[in-house]
Amino acid sequence: MSLSSFLTNRRVGLVADASVMINLNATARAADIVKAVPNPFSITENAAAELKAGSQKGYRDHEQLLELIDAGLIRRAPLSGPGMAVYESLIDGSARQTLDDGEAATIAYAKEISGIALIDERKARSLCASQYPGLLVACTVEFLMHDAIALAIGVQAQADALLSALNGARMHVPSEHLERLRTMIDPERAALCSSLPKTARAATV
Amino acid sequence: MSGERLTDKEVGERLRLARENAKLTQVDAAAQIGVVRTTLVAIEQGKRRVQMDELQKLAIAYRTSANALLRREAVHLDMVPRFRKLQESSDDAVEAATRLLNDLVRAEVELENALGVVRTRNYPPERPILPGDIRAQAEQDAQELRDWLGLGPGPITDIVSILDLQLGVRVYVRPLNGKVSGLFAYDETAGACILLNANHPPERLLQSGVHETAHLISTRRQPEVLTDDERFASREERYANAFQRSFITPARVVRQQFAEMTAGQSHLTRRHIILLAHTSGVSREAMVRRLEELKLAREGTWDWFVANGGITDDQVRQVLGELPDKRVYTARAQGLVPPRLALLAREAWKKDIYSEGQLARLLQLNRHEVRELLEGAEKEESEANELVKLPH
Repeated sequence: MSLSSFLTNRRVGLVADASVMINLNATARAADIVKAVPNPFSITENAAAELKAGSQKGYRDHEQLLELIDAGLIRRAPLSGPGMAVYESLIDGSARQTLDDGEAATIAYAKEISGIALIDERKARSLCASQYPGLLVACTVEFLMHDAIALAIGVQAQADALLSALNGARMHVPSEHLERLRTMIDPERAALCSSLPKTARAATV
Repeated sequence: MSGERLTDKEVGERLRLARENAKLTQVDAAAQIGVVRTTLVAIEQGKRRVQMDELQKLAIAYRTSANALLRREAVHLDMVPRFRKLQESSDDAVEAATRLLNDLVRAEVELENALGVVRTRNYPPERPILPGDIRAQAEQDAQELRDWLGLGPGPITDIVSILDLQLGVRVYVRPLNGKVSGLFAYDETAGACILLNANHPPERLLQSGVHETAHLISTRRQPEVLTDDERFASREERYANAFQRSFITPARVVRQQFAEMTAGQSHLTRRHIILLAHTSGVSREAMVRRLEELKLAREGTWDWFVANGGITDDQVRQVLGELPDKRVYTARAQGLVPPRLALLAREAWKKDIYSEGQLARLLQLNRHEVRELLEGAEKEESEANELVKLPH
């Protein structure tokens, strides 16, 4: 289940995948953005390990994650019994029906805590829809466009953050969010954004 | 679990290969999951199913993921330990190149299988090394391959395309440590696979490519690594070296060109060598050594040139003028992964067969690099229309 206003309950935990953390880091306002929502925010060990792998080539995502963890804004989440069963179901099988460890662990932990999986990957989202239809799933762009972020950092800073995630991290934007995104970042700036589909950069979506 | 599950024996075998690739002993691996060695042996033999928490720990220790170990389509090759056995002592440059070849082949075969792509093999007949004059056999086999490929007497301008398109060999041109020229391996699943060093000049890359082709012809089932510090030349290596010279510079062709260029002249000059080397697409040294071998120049001719100032690039420019850059393999060598593999990965992602995370793991890239690789894939999809639809 995907919701346009998914942050209605402040106690529901958010579980970010590695791809979402990369986008948040690219905004250069990750701490302010995470602080803007009252919900508990976590990342699984598997997803954190993926970010660590990027450190060998000079990417700072893992370092930035550790700063957020040290600041108490993000928590490392271990999988336990019920989550482990979901995780296993998502990694064991054919390529089409499975995900890599970080993506699977994100979904499994969100399921375990009845939270919201923050995940951009198209295939992961469609697997969730078919296998765990009750699970709340949102993507980075939905999260960044949320009113709570605008309230915390301002509308202009929110638009800048969105643009930075698009340009700096090639943030993936599902087609249903393109029109709103284009309006928020300004159609002229959207037209110059090479990571957006051609249709989103044109005069009308 | 999703779809058909692997048997305990299959999982155990994959774990064994992953452990050997990671260069860990059974004792090391057992310690990672807090069991005794005999338990790990039982897991690898499929007598005990690995627990999920154990699998996660082993995946981290083996520098892979649990999904890569359990995914049905995943291909697990034993190239790294096979190459390791060839080395008298451990060599980091060779190990890295071996691992790269193993990873490229593994990823390509898995993506081909997932997409239903069948790669056509058209390998030349095997010619085992026979007793007797090895150089004569190499000369004969090289000419036979030239004829079989329909190459004629001209120079070999693109050995990589010959291997790839005419023979159906999996060939990759990637930057390697300077001491490694090339690797050859044969695997029942993947077929013949060659890795060449993109950092080497085209003349040397040609030599390495043909050298590895000689191993495809003569000792197909044996993995081979070509480095610049080989102290012992085995019979197989001497065959490959002779094959390489004969294939690139066939005796009859060299004799004919030599006769035409030196007709009516009294001495072999730098100008002759520059022209002959250019015509055959080989280095000046390789050409002089070949002339020595064919008794068209006296033994020690190259050493004499070297002792007398060599044959310089300036002299080459004086004879041939400014030549365009001959880096014919640039397109194959660039990019985060070889171009064909990149196309397969983009297609697998567009079809939702593989996720970004799975591709990152499969291609040994981080998430930023995978996004770079996949950039525009969705655009291609949204812009596609009937006009550019492929006819299959």
